[in-house]
Amino acid sequence: MMFPVRCFTCGALIGHLWEEFKKRVEAGEDPGKVLDDLGVKRYCCRRMFLSHVDIYYEILNFPKVS
Amino acid sequence: MVEIRVLEKNPYVLKLHVKDIPLHVLNSIRRTILSEVPTMAVDFVVFTINSSVFYDEYIAHRLGLIPLTSEEALEKYKSPEECREAGEKGVFSEDCFVKLELEGKGREGEIVTLYSGDLKTSDPDVKPIHDKIPILALTGNQEIKLEAYARLGRGKEHAKWSPVSIATHKYVPNILIDYEKCKGETCKECIEVCPRNIFDLVDGKLIVKSEKIYECTLCRYCEEKCPVNAIRVKWIENEFILTIESTGSLSTKKILLEAVKILEEKINDFINSLKERGVLE
Ligand code: SF4
Ligand code: SF4
Ligand SMILES: [Zn+2]
Repeated sequence: MMFPVRCFTCGALIGHLWEEFKKRVEAGEDPGKVLDDLGVKRYCCRRMFLSHVDIYYEILNFPKVS
Repeated sequence: MVEIRVLEKNPYVLKLHVKDIPLHVLNSIRRTILSEVPTMAVDFVVFTINSSVFYDEYIAHRLGLIPLTSEEALEKYKSPEECREAGEKGVFSEDCFVKLELEGKGREGEIVTLYSGDLKTSDPDVKPIHDKIPILALTGNQEIKLEAYARLGRGKEHAKWSPVSIATHKYVPNILIDYEKCKGETCKECIEVCPRNIFDLVDGKLIVKSEKIYECTLCRYCEEKCPVNAIRVKWIENEFILTIESTGSLSTKKILLEAVKILEEKINDFINSLKERGVLE
């Protein structure tokens, strides 16, 4: 739902980079270049960024019933 | 003679070219790093209020994965084994556990994100290595209040305690070019296919860029593509590249030292138990 704290495959910390990545890509920068810039080298970590959808923005408005 | 050359060194990454350390010794160190060197990580979470859309387990899992600074904690807190037992009994004593508190409320029509920096720690030596790791988000009248307890642990128990994201060793590539067969300028096939750009042409002669050789993945694509079989991809005997990438909880220096210390203890234990049984004098 939220961007993962660590890469699923290698376990590197990536959570703190998401917001900057998102901001810069939405501003029109090339995702690959932004990742190079952020120092995300391995392709296991890179796909974490490229394939993520921030779905919690919508789910936030539907609280769980308990 | 053991020889070591530092290829890369920054607070997170250490890359060494080592000569004449046998592979099994290097691999023991590597595996000790991955599964034995202790670090701090959240292990228990007590939720007082959670009316967010995130389930308790989801938040607890995210908290667990946040690397915590552990350099001082290694000396300060009891061993992983003792603390594991204490935790299972529900005893969150101060000589084992560090308490991290998180509290937050949403606001109407707004998304409030709580970050690792919002965690209030009971020990300033143990805190998230980065302040901008999102933990959860709240909106409207949603509220969260929790206490997380971190303790020392080992990578073999759960990967969140591993001090590294990667610890690898690799052979040192040695690319041999047969200049009698190589057609150099008229061919250039290997220059084009190599994914790491290892080759270059200098005065019509094919060369291997010496500063790039460590990046060769030993994929042998060049060997396969050469029309006249002029390339052989080999590796150098008894030389390896050891790479350690820390998650940030411990420095690479500390990780190596701890790993060697733990390995030494294990070998001493082995010898002592052999002595006890009369196998050794
Ligand atoms: S083995 Fe692969 S990476 Fe190494 S030089 Fe050949 S093509 Fe390049
Ligand atoms: S592919 Fe073979 S023949 Fe062609 S340049 Fe490379 S080594 Fe020489
Ligand atoms: Zn990765």
